[in-house]
Amino acid sequence: MHSIVIPISIRMLTHNQMRLIMTVIGIAIAFFLAAAQIGLMVGWINTNSAIIKHAGVDIWVMAEETRAFEYGTAIPRHRIQQVASIPGVAWAEGLLTSWSLWQHPHGERINVEIIGLDRSLVGGPWMLLDGATENVIQPKTVIVDELHQKLLGVYNLGDEAEMQGSRAIIGGFSKGVRTFTALPFIFTSINNALDYSPSYNDEEITYVLARIAPNIDANDVRNRIIKEINNIEVLTTDEFAERSVKYWMLETGVGITVIITALLGLLVGAVIMSQTLFAITQDHIANYATLLALGFHQKTLRQIVLAQSLSLGGLGIIIGSILFFAACNASARSPIPLETTPTVSMGLIAFSLLCCIAASWFSIRAIFKLDPVTVFHG
Amino acid sequence: MKSIMACQGISKSYGSGDILERVLKRVDLEFFEGQASVLVGPSGSGKTTLLSILGCLLAPSEGQLLIASEAVNFSDKSSLTEVRRQKLGFIFQHAQLLPFLTIEENLAIVGRNAGMDDDDIKQRLDGLLYRLELKAMRYKHPAQLSGGQRQRVAIARALLHRPSIVLADEPTAALDWNTGKTVVELLLEQARMEKAVLVVVTHDTRMLPLFDRILSIADGILSEQAQTAAAENIFYTQP
Ligand SMILES: Nc1ncnc2c1ncn2[C@@H]1O[C@H](COP(=O)(O)OP(=O)(O)O)[C@@H](O)[C@H]1O
Ligand SMILES: [Mg+2]
Repeated sequence: MHSIVIPISIRMLTHNQMRLIMTVIGIAIAFFLAAAQIGLMVGWINTNSAIIKHAGVDIWVMAEETRAFEYGTAIPRHRIQQVASIPGVAWAEGLLTSWSLWQHPHGERINVEIIGLDRSLVGGPWMLLDGATENVIQPKTVIVDELHQKLLGVYNLGDEAEMQGSRAIIGGFSKGVRTFTALPFIFTSINNALDYSPSYNDEEITYVLARIAPNIDANDVRNRIIKEINNIEVLTTDEFAERSVKYWMLETGVGITVIITALLGLLVGAVIMSQTLFAITQDHIANYATLLALGFHQKTLRQIVLAQSLSLGGLGIIIGSILFFAACNASARSPIPLETTPTVSMGLIAFSLLCCIAASWFSIRAIFKLDPVTVFHG
Repeated sequence: MKSIMACQGISKSYGSGDILERVLKRVDLEFFEGQASVLVGPSGSGKTTLLSILGCLLAPSEGQLLIASEAVNFSDKSSLTEVRRQKLGFIFQHAQLLPFLTIEENLAIVGRNAGMDDDDIKQRLDGLLYRLELKAMRYKHPAQLSGGQRQRVAIARALLHRPSIVLADEPTAALDWNTGKTVVELLLEQARMEKAVLVVVTHDTRMLPLFDRILSIADGILSEQAQTAAAENIFYTQP
């Protein structure tokens, strides 16, 4: 790199400080905008599979053609014993999910999703604000999320509502257990859940959850289960999470809207970033022509443009990231959280830097189309 | 005398077919060390075009440009850049200093670009700023200078890397007469001191007696006037 690249780049940028600040802010906001849209999508995806992932089991056994966690249908309860008796399975319990109708203390009604837990309470809420998960073992006791207090009309431990003619007493409030359908989750025991679920009879559940013994291959166990038991499907936790996410993302209007919004955020962010950086170079186009005429090599000018784009872009991305992580924190307990993963963050940063490089490329093309002769014509 | 630069049968046309415009017709010229020439002609006669060709900024349609006895290869952009950065100094109508650099930095980058070492650049800078009465301006930005001061900086910038050829296109057009005259006198004095070939385009016939040679273009034909008779003969070329 030519030794004048850095000093010229810095002077060019700091000469008009207001312009510099506006540029960096512009890039930061564009990055934040794209990151926030993607973050919404990631938050949505995480919400989609949160219960599956938090259950922490290895294998999910379910009725065939189960499209997503929320759409599980009844299988016989004795499947639990059948799965437990397969060699390689260390532990197996049931889980029941069903839709029901929640009636407020003062009569208002709302659809809810019941989650009935077995003895070990696997598949239950992972963070509790008040009360205890064990409370659901008691008759007619449920746990709901603090996010849904207003929706469900219950605000304190011991508050009561009704489902299918049975009482539901609040035994705890969970934290951060969101739903992306309009249906709040109601955690309770399988036995209580059966009272609230008219479509299930007492000998039915929805899922068998299993853990595999140490050092045993999950695929072998899965094949054995499929061979032994008819009319069921066996998925690992990751497979089931992926299937649920794919269903909500790709086969429902909401999911597709979330994807399109994220892509638009990315597109708008990319355009603003590139455009802002391109404009900076265009401001100095006459100076680039002078440098060309004075005998500065194209290579040197290319380096100046690239150095500026990457430093402005980098600064904007850093500030945008700080904004984004602040927003993630602020939204952590809201119904629509912004979330990210290391891969998504890295990908977004790489994409943004790529936009900066693309902007440089267009700027450089504009400079090299310049005829150095133009300097003589003022 | 040492020949520094020569035009051999240089022609230049713009456009093609029906709208072909022949601006320069077979220009033959030779410039010798330390010689100061002035180039005059009516507006649109091709002065800037010729200067651009001499400055390796524009390729001629026909003919050859020799610099230090070597033919310039106009199809190789990077060798043109190389010639410009080593052998040529430019002065434009509006100084065209980089507004974001101080006067000192505006000069220093040209030296760096030409591969001079820091000590050499500093010495040259001190010398030129002193000779051009710019010492007080050293750390100022171009916007803080008057038009005449900016042109003096442009002269320093054109000479700093010791080019053998200095080209100036109407360097005084944006200045009043007195300031312009001072600038041209300084330019001549400095270029002679450096033994550089100097070619200056101007509209102002009052400047002509200051130069060694007077070149005039009309209808694409370049001719040379005898210096003594020049002042009278050329008056008609004023716009
Ligand atoms: N890039 C160009 N394309 C087409 N015609 C040009 C171009 N540059 C100059 N000309 C024409 O060439 C002629 C000479 O221009 P120029 O060298 O700028 O004249 P001068 O500097 O003597 O005023 C003018 O008629 C002008 O219109
Ligand atoms: Mg001209």
